[in-house]
Amino acid sequence: MIKIKKLLTNVVTSRTSFLISLLLFIIIILSFSSPYFLSISNLLEITQFGAVLAIVALGEALIILSGNEGIDLSVGAILSLSGVLFGLAINNGFSMGAAIIITILSGILLGCINGILIAYIGIPPLIGTLGTMYIYSSLALYLTGGTPISGFPQYFRILGQKNTFGIPNQVLFVAIPIFIFTYFIIKRTSFGRKVYLVGTNDVAARLATINTPKVRMALYAYSGFLASIASIIMCSWLMTARADVGNGLELQAVTVSVLGGINIKGGEGNLSGVMLAVLIITITSSGLQIANVNSIWQLAILGFILIFAVLLNQYIVDKKVA
Amino acid sequence: MLRKYVPQPSKREYITFILLLLEILLFGMIADNFLSLDNIVRVIQNSAEIALVSIGMTMVMLLGGIDLSVGSTMGIVAIVAGKMIQGNSNNFVVLIVAMGLGIILGTINGLIITKFKIPDIIVTLATMNIWRAMIFMMLGGKWITGLNSVFSKLTTGKILGIPVLLLVIIAFYALFYYITMYRPFGRHLYATGSNIQSAELLGINANKIKIISYSLLGLMVGLASILYISRMGSVEMTIGSELSLQCIAAVTLGGTSVKGKGGKGSLIGTLAGVFFIAFLRNGIVILGVPSLLENAFIGMLIIGSILFDFFLDKKKVAKAA
Repeated sequence: MIKIKKLLTNVVTSRTSFLISLLLFIIIILSFSSPYFLSISNLLEITQFGAVLAIVALGEALIILSGNEGIDLSVGAILSLSGVLFGLAINNGFSMGAAIIITILSGILLGCINGILIAYIGIPPLIGTLGTMYIYSSLALYLTGGTPISGFPQYFRILGQKNTFGIPNQVLFVAIPIFIFTYFIIKRTSFGRKVYLVGTNDVAARLATINTPKVRMALYAYSGFLASIASIIMCSWLMTARADVGNGLELQAVTVSVLGGINIKGGEGNLSGVMLAVLIITITSSGLQIANVNSIWQLAILGFILIFAVLLNQYIVDKKVA
Repeated sequence: MLRKYVPQPSKREYITFILLLLEILLFGMIADNFLSLDNIVRVIQNSAEIALVSIGMTMVMLLGGIDLSVGSTMGIVAIVAGKMIQGNSNNFVVLIVAMGLGIILGTINGLIITKFKIPDIIVTLATMNIWRAMIFMMLGGKWITGLNSVFSKLTTGKILGIPVLLLVIIAFYALFYYITMYRPFGRHLYATGSNIQSAELLGINANKIKIISYSLLGLMVGLASILYISRMGSVEMTIGSELSLQCIAAVTLGGTSVKGKGGKGSLIGTLAGVFFIAFLRNGIVILGVPSLLENAFIGMLIIGSILFDFFLDKKKVAKAA
């Protein structure tokens, strides 16, 4: 009896094991809805829906991790705007490589604007990125004139619509390498340690001669960079660039980060937890689609999961203190 | 003795008023029909909901909080009220139900935030989506149309040539200005907003203040949805999707400090902020700026007004030192 209790507390208090159990639980539940669901090929196929979210969520998670109420509400708008710029570049005769470079640079630039406003001027992240979110998405809308941009070359499909070894290309060649790279930076370099320290205690970090604005600035720029990468995937996936494609993505990214165990107050959490959370959200929503549940409910479920995830985080913190 | 501690609107709020006057003068000179009575009445009509909701939003933001769910809340209340009007319910009952439902939904936010100690933004981000899903469910893809009620007279009616709506807005601002500045609740609100620990040491129940503020915000949202119905005569899926940003922009512009620095600002500033944005939207359309760029202006305005606040703060600090 005591052993079972101990096992249960262990499962709940270790974020990774909890998320893995939750993931397995959801897969088992959903496999009742359709026999096709549980096949490996289907599960791999489903990951294509998570690639964009995974990439964007990595940036969001790092920003929340860096504390000081850090949050980036503009990621969706950056994704929309850089996607639109990508489409315009292609349509104006730029080569694929040049267009990709333009897109990535614009993503970094938009992220840097956030970073300057927040890290150097000191505007609260919530309001600052709310403001830029409206500026960026409005610009995207203006540049497209409200109509989607098409006219991408056919070979561009390879990135977003084709598989290699049964794994969608955008997952295998973009999302996974980016995750490994980010994970390495955060776990194995001094910059990663600085991010955690800045998030845990801003004053202490400054006393330890860490240039905290520089760290935060780098993170907002990285988040913009990731959003622009995600926008290229999105363009290839839809073969159009739309101005509203990133709407609501910021909510999903925050939800996934919090569910993945990133403390909303900063300094605590693990990127692999975030990736597990992305898997959970992706599999749940495509499972619900297979089970013919109205997609509107995903919004509500996302809302419930968000509150539930924060509560769980607090419970874990309490347990650890006890 | 206590009189000394009555919070006073600061210079910052009056600056917004001066900006508002300058803006009206500027647009008035450039665009011919900007200052026509018809146009001004239209601006007031279009901003009535934002004006009312911003009252509640000011209180919540004075506490260092924020509410992103007001738009979805307005949608739910409007749908329920709309269905009741279709069912020929008594207008008075509709009004009471709308107010009550608004209060309930607002209180839910307040309770979750205070009881579970979850950050405001997370809770209201979550409820925003949960209510939005309920809106989709209740409407099922259809619009509620043809809502003609007694309330419609509210939006078009005039007393002595003054639009009734303007009188309603002014009445509510006067009432809540009195409450926030001169009643104990208002003082506790400011005290909690500027320093929650010392407020609690004074014996103020900070959680109670917060819950009441969210309930009052819900009440204002309930009233706003009645105004929405009477203005539009219909309820559609995307109802209120931009309401929260517009209110936050108006409140920020009016000088109420944003998250992390509560306790500064007042409803006077908010009123000026609401009309500043309303006339700006109207003016840039008249001037022929593409409407797709409208939100970019609002976003720049939010950031600009915070930068302005920072500039003022720095000057003050420099003077003190």
